[in-house]
Amino acid sequence: MIGLRFPKLKCERIVILTGADAVKISALSVVISFMLFGAFVAFEGTDPLVAYEHIFSFAFDPKLGLPITLHRGFFLVFNTLAFIIPMAAGIWNIGMEGQFYLGTIGAFAVAYSFPDLNQAILIPLMLISGAIFGAAYGALAGFLKGKMNVNEVVVTIMLNNIAFWLVYLLTVGGPWAGIAESTSKPLPKNACAPMVWNTPFTSIFVIVVAILVYFFLKKTTIGYQIRTLGSNPIVAKHVGISAPKISVIVMAIGGAIAGLSGYHMWAGDPAFLMIPRPEAYKAIGDLTYWGIILGLICLLNPLTSVPASIFIGSIIVGTTVLVRRLRMPFGLDVLFLGIISLVFAAFQFFHQYRIRRVKVVIGK
Amino acid sequence: MIWPFITRSLGIATILLLAAIGELLDERAGVLNVGIEGLMLFGGAAGFLAALKWGLLAGFIVGTIVGGAFGLLHAVLSITLKVNQVVSGMGIWLFAMGFVTYWADRYSGPLPMGMVSPSIHGLSPMFFIALAILFAIWFILSRTHLGLKIRSVGEDPSTAEVSGVNVVKIRYLCTTIGGLLGGLAGAFLTLTYLACWSHLPTMGLGWVALALVQFSIWRPPILLAGALLFGFIWQFAISPETIYAGIPAPLPVLRMLPFAVTIIFLTVISSERFRKKWALAKPAALGQPYIKE
Repeated sequence: MIGLRFPKLKCERIVILTGADAVKISALSVVISFMLFGAFVAFEGTDPLVAYEHIFSFAFDPKLGLPITLHRGFFLVFNTLAFIIPMAAGIWNIGMEGQFYLGTIGAFAVAYSFPDLNQAILIPLMLISGAIFGAAYGALAGFLKGKMNVNEVVVTIMLNNIAFWLVYLLTVGGPWAGIAESTSKPLPKNACAPMVWNTPFTSIFVIVVAILVYFFLKKTTIGYQIRTLGSNPIVAKHVGISAPKISVIVMAIGGAIAGLSGYHMWAGDPAFLMIPRPEAYKAIGDLTYWGIILGLICLLNPLTSVPASIFIGSIIVGTTVLVRRLRMPFGLDVLFLGIISLVFAAFQFFHQYRIRRVKVVIGK
Repeated sequence: MIWPFITRSLGIATILLLAAIGELLDERAGVLNVGIEGLMLFGGAAGFLAALKWGLLAGFIVGTIVGGAFGLLHAVLSITLKVNQVVSGMGIWLFAMGFVTYWADRYSGPLPMGMVSPSIHGLSPMFFIALAILFAIWFILSRTHLGLKIRSVGEDPSTAEVSGVNVVKIRYLCTTIGGLLGGLAGAFLTLTYLACWSHLPTMGLGWVALALVQFSIWRPPILLAGALLFGFIWQFAISPETIYAGIPAPLPVLRMLPFAVTIIFLTVISSERFRKKWALAKPAALGQPYIKE
């Protein structure tokens, strides 16, 4: 008998996704995003390889872009951690933008009230105040989610918009208005972040926070409760984990970490040291949305979020070169954010299914 | 003095109505699309660029079609590929923010002179089109066989499938129509209401529309009331002096108002008193991919 053999694609459901597979999928989605972004760059009339060379040579040159790359990268680490902790409990924190603004307000309020304090006291106070403001703002969304069962995605987005106008209220013609139009007063000298290895000390601080978050989620009782709630709310209910309590806790911790980024952003970059114009601080606020994508791509692992954030930071900083050196249109960096998020969303498919070639033999 | 204010707030109400009624249809079929803001951005940008090139009518058509295309993309991701619907919607929204900035920001500015949308004493006919669409969707959902199919798909897809309803087809249809309406809402925003393109012009309107659907308890008539109310609040936040000249609050405080009211409404609707009713009205299969056994 002659058997007719031909390959056929078969879609199989994956019951348990191994860590190695998940890493492969994340890496593949990043590679595809680079190829798609390259296509856009080519469409604009630039060789993608040349463009990438410009991006990374600028971003990692210690004399040019490296300090900014690290600064923006570590800013993303704060926001990724702020997304990861609530997500581990199954709660979507899209409110990093608002929590970052509130953290900014908290830190600046201290700096403007006590401008003459010693640096060693003032900076910790600013950090604590920013964290408290961010935590309160996050806890508000967490409370509404946990106690009232209000959709956290909508609430956090609404809170982001409210926080945007709150900063606007304080800076544009408000009590904090500076001499220059629409910006705030400059920070007092002793509020500036001390530099360690050419980067603000908060960068080192956030690495410590990332490690702490890792152990918090992996090794503590409450971390275990968070992960149980996230993976199976019904089981969590039966073993007596209080969902309202956990949702307030995770959002408060997430909010506190996002709030800390307020100090890191404005006091850590010598180019700022104040709250800039609304368009400019909104552009920084939009960067916080990278936290969502980074958190998901890192599969909610706080440790891998550090190198991944630095990498994305290099793209954010590097793409500005495309505009300046190669005269490419503005907005390519946000385009890359968009591409990577869409590709990643599509690749979620492979978290549930695998496509396999099976040999089908007909006629035997 | 008061009439321009009314037409402007009806303009915002039109945008909310178009976007929200599309989302309501999606959600009734069990597909949650959190990316309406993205659909609106795409519809707005595509509509604006098409209008610059081919005129106003083309702008509306292209904006609607592009919105529909992204509705279809959401359908492919969430129905065929069974991606988590929130992830997919967020992906589309973030993609829209990036792509639209890159694509349309270089053409920032007003529409050329003479490209003025038709209006009846300042009120755009699109308001009546939106009302007609709302009525049509209400009629289809509650009075026709197709509507019954759509609702059954949103409540219990496996039972619907057994009774001979093509779940995948219905969900694709609803999500694409939702996308078309989101695109139209965006095109109306940039072509008629603002008549210009500026950086990310939606300013959270899409999210308000998403919230509107939730506290309309998935009923089109309540949705209409909500859209009118929020149209008023939104416009009041932008130009309070037309209502009361001596308004004491500084402007940014008022700009927070629509968002704060949304949170309050959502909280009230989720409270004990409404929760039972709300939980019953909520499409049971909302947000869950349908997996054929």
